[in-house]
This record gives sequence, C-alpha cells and structure tokens, in this order.
Amino acid sequence: MNASTETLSIEQKKTLFRNLIRASEYNRMMYRRMMQGKLIGFYHPAEGAIAPGVAASSFLNQDDNLNPHHRGHGITHMVSKGIDVSSFLAEHTGKDTGCCKGRSAWHFSYPEHKVYQQSGFIGHNFAPSVGWGWAAKRRNSGQVVMNCSGDGSYGEGRAHEALLMAQNWKLPIIFFCENNQMAIFSRASEMHPMEHISSLADGYGMDSVIVDGQDVFAVAEVTLKAIAKARDGGGPTFVECKTLRFNEHDIGTPDLGGWEERSESEHAEMREREPVTLATEKVLSEGIFSQTEIDELYAEALEEIAKVEEFADNSDIAMPSEEELMSAVFAD
Amino acid sequence: MRTITFIDAIKEAYQEEMRRDEDVFMVGQDIRGAIFPHTKGLVDEFGPDRIVDTPISESGMYGVAMGAAQEGLRPIVDFMFGGFSYVTFSECTVSTGQYHFLHGSQRPMPIVMTAGVGTGQRLANDHAMSIHGTFAHHPGIKVAMPSTPYDAKGMFKAAIRDNNPVMIPWHMGIMMQKGEVPDVGDDYIVPLGVADVKRQGTDVTVMANSLQLQHALKVAEKLEGEGISCEVIDPRSFVPFDLDTVLKSLEKTNRLVVVDEDWESGSFANTVSANVMESGFDLLDAPVTRVTLPNMPVPGGYMEDYIAPNPEKIEAAIRKVLA
Repeated sequence: MNASTETLSIEQKKTLFRNLIRASEYNRMMYRRMMQGKLIGFYHPAEGAIAPGVAASSFLNQDDNLNPHHRGHGITHMVSKGIDVSSFLAEHTGKDTGCCKGRSAWHFSYPEHKVYQQSGFIGHNFAPSVGWGWAAKRRNSGQVVMNCSGDGSYGEGRAHEALLMAQNWKLPIIFFCENNQMAIFSRASEMHPMEHISSLADGYGMDSVIVDGQDVFAVAEVTLKAIAKARDGGGPTFVECKTLRFNEHDIGTPDLGGWEERSESEHAEMREREPVTLATEKVLSEGIFSQTEIDELYAEALEEIAKVEEFADNSDIAMPSEEELMSAVFAD
Repeated sequence: MRTITFIDAIKEAYQEEMRRDEDVFMVGQDIRGAIFPHTKGLVDEFGPDRIVDTPISESGMYGVAMGAAQEGLRPIVDFMFGGFSYVTFSECTVSTGQYHFLHGSQRPMPIVMTAGVGTGQRLANDHAMSIHGTFAHHPGIKVAMPSTPYDAKGMFKAAIRDNNPVMIPWHMGIMMQKGEVPDVGDDYIVPLGVADVKRQGTDVTVMANSLQLQHALKVAEKLEGEGISCEVIDPRSFVPFDLDTVLKSLEKTNRLVVVDEDWESGSFANTVSANVMESGFDLLDAPVTRVTLPNMPVPGGYMEDYIAPNPEKIEAAIRKVLA
C-alpha cells in the first residue's frame, strides 16, 4: 500500500528534509535539556517517530487546525508548521515568557496558528477535532483538521465517536495515526485485535491508507492527497503511519515491551529504519541536496535552536501571586 | 407583564440570543424533535445547521461545542438529563474548565451546558441526580440554576453572553411553573453570581434553589402563621457564589438552613456551611444545618418522595435551628 513519492516536487522534498533535520535536532535538544535538569516535568522522546509529524505538518496552511501527537511534546509538528516555539520552550522551562505564561509546563497553545492545546488525557484530541471540522464545514472556510495521535489513543471510545461523526458529516479531518506500536510498555499487537489500526476506518466507510512512517516522503505523499480531498469537501481520511519508538516512553521509565526489557536485537533492527538516515540516503541519491548543503541545514537548525534556548534561558521564572492566578481562572 | 412557563422562558432566551448573534447555536441529541419543550420548534426558525442533533456520542457531541467555541462560535450543549454529562465529564470539566487558565489566557471558551435535573419524576439516579455541586467543584466553570421563569430567561441570556464555560441545569420539577416575564424582545439579563432574597424574614435564613426553593417558600408561608419569620434566599449561582447576601441576611437572623438537592457528601451545602463558619461564625446562634439527599443512589419509585429533601424535612430543620 505504500504510495510512490513521485508526485512530490523538489521544493516539497527539500522542505520535508529540512524540517526533518530541524525536528530531529529539536528532539535532541529537548532530550538533552531534560537530562540537564533544564526542562520542567517530563519528556517523551520522539526519536525514531519523527517523520510522520513532519510530513503531516509541513504543508498545512496556518489556519488549518493541528493537534500534534504528544510524543516530542508536539515540538516536531509545530516547528514543521512554521511555529516559532521559543515561547513553548520558555513554558517548558517555567518562564514568564511561556506561551501559557509559565502555568503549564509541557502544555502549549498557539491559537493564532490553530494549535489550541495539549491534553494529558490520551484520546482527548478526538472530541475537539470534531468541533474544528464541524466549524470549518459550517463556515465553508476551507480549513482542514490534522488530528495526530498514536495507536493507543484509538483504544478510547472518543476515537470511535469522532470517526463516526466525521464520516457521517463528511468533515475535513485527517485521522493521522502515528502507530509506533507501543503504549507506555504494552504492544499494540496485544491491545488491538487487528494488525492495522486503520482497519477501524472500514467499519465507518472511511477511506484509509497505510504508509511507511519511517519514510517522510511517502507519508507526505499520502497526506497531501488526504488534505486535498478534505479541502475539496471529500471528507475525512484515515492515514496510518507505521513508525517506531527508539527510546523508552518517557525519560526515566524502563524500556519494556509488555513487562520485559526490549532486546538489543529489537533496538538494532529499529535503528536500521532511522528516518533521518533513510531520508539522507534518498536526498543524496536523488541529488536533491549535496552533503555540503546538508551540513549547512544542520548548522542552520542548530543556530535556530540555540536562539530558542537562549530566549528560554534568559527569561525570568514565572512566580505570579495566588491572587494573580485566581484572576486568570475565568475570562472577562 | 405576561405570564409564561419556566421552560418557555428558557426557550425564549435561546431564541432571542440566536436572533441577536449568528454564532450562537445548539448541539444535543434529539433536540430538533424536542425531548423537552425548551427546544421545541427551534429547528423551524434556525434550521438544522444551528439546531444540531448528533449520534449518541456524548464526547463527540461535546467536542462539536468545544472545537467550535475555540473557532469563535458560541455553542449551547444540551445533555438532555444532567447525569448524561458524566459520559463526557473529562471534556466538560478538565478540558474546558482548565483551558483558559492553563493555556495562557489566550482564548476564551464560551460554552453553555444545560440539562434537566432533579427529583420529582421518580426516574431514579441517572435521570434524577443533581450535577451543580459536582461541576462547582471544578475550577474554571461557572455554575448556576434558575428558580423562576424571570430568572431562567435572564440567566440563560447571561450564560450565553458569558465568555466562560457555564453549566446551567434546570430543574424538571418546576418546568411548567408559571411566572411573570417581560415581553419578547424586551432585553434583560440576570447576572451570574448574584443571589436573590425571595422572601424577607427575621428569624431564620433558608437558602434553597429550584424545586427546593418552592418547598422552602411554602414552609415559610406556613410558619408565618406561627409567628416564625423566614428569610428565603435563592443563591441562583453556585460559581461565582454570592456569599455576601447570605452573610448580610445572617446579621438579622443569626440562623441558617441550607437546602441542597444533592448528596450530602461533597455537596455545595457543605461549601456554604464552611464559608459561613469561616466568614460569619460570630453571626451564628446555632450550627448551620443542612437538608440534603442522603448518600445513597437517588431511588426511583415512590420512595423518592421521602428520601429527597421535601417541605417536611425543611420545616424540621428550621425548627431545629430555632430550638
């Protein structure tokens, strides 16, 4: 079922590769800062599972709704959509310049980019996604909803309600399942009766496609088609990306499959499917970028990230009074 | 002024607000056909794009409201029966109640939630339970319940114009009660967060709402004949709560009975009792006394009549604080 990548333009491939490198380096930075004690809370590393979010987010319009997958804390999706995440890193560092005023640690909110929130409840992307899609359809606004979440989230009844309502009303929603085949420890193969999560779409008469989630170009190919269809009033599509999670669920938890340590051979096998390595081979072989240009892309990404970190580090810790916080509970 | 029913007063609030603001719409289940008369005929005027029926998918239904509110629309969600809101409780409370605060006060979340609640129909637990106390427990949600047709119309209008999630259930036991309401188009609101003294008195303050307010007023009438003067306060809103009106009343009466048609444990009556203890201890000549539902599932059938708060229980509580 893997689509070819022949319809992508050179420019689109360049954008995808550039964003893949940025996303990968942002994830590295987040991982490093967590280990350095420079992030508040926790971090769910995205290594191995970066390509789907980059492909889902790189070609959205700014008024398209995006719900990022929680892995990577949304940062890989948001930087691919073109959001300056300085204020998110500040938020995650507990600073008063944070996008949520330092109140929320790892939650983000960029309503001007149609990224409204993050929820700690898995599967709580589905209900508001129905609402964004419904509003887009009612207003005939041309917006699409990129509703990203993992295999585990489709265990929630909310997922099924959303599939039902999206298909019934032909809402412009992409059910973008980043199937890394793992919940915290449990394997999807043990928690779901069907091999493919996207087979759920069949029950609702919804179009679906399965794609190699390690291949950023292949994911973009099918996602662009789903976006175009949704924008044209063709209704929702279920896009299932088969991806991988290289690290433990969140930094510090054991790296288990079920209740046993994931084996070295499993890790070695996964590493052979590292998305940046695969994409690099492709752009070099197709002559899209030279090695020198790739080196420059890395340098640019690191420079960008250094500025983001500088902003967060130079901001003050948010320590509002209880009275100030109480006055923020309700909107005027 | 003309006289209309409580439930028609709610309907008029919907109609006038939907005529005033195209962004206002309703979402629920079988609201076009109207399980309860407050949505009857709305689809004829506003069409199925603004009177929206969903499948029996409460989270998805609530999601229509939540997502649309973020996109700048102003939804009213009808849960039919209050207990049904529990099916999507995390979205109602945590997701929407936290949204403004936790996401940096960037966008409001204007959602009105409503549902029929209360005893009197002998329908048992899931169709009879109160929800105001449970919602009041969760930060970021305003909670109110009207007790008269005038208040119903004015408070629903205030809720629809509010920029926050507002849970405003209505009590099925007073659905057909009639009262004076200004003419259609004579715009007024009853602000949220303002209690109302429904009857002046000097000996004891009774706080009660909705059906229980009617019970309390009847008891007050009866006791007047014995020379007992009851001041009856309708809180109208639970969040924000107008404690000052209660404390002011206690300056006169020095005695408080709180009637709350909700389970005793964790009830709003407990909040009032604690607030009065902390802020008005010196005003009290007797312990604050509560009349609530015992901590058992709300029974259906005939036993509802003597398990739920009723005039006899309210009268007994008043006599107790006066003893």
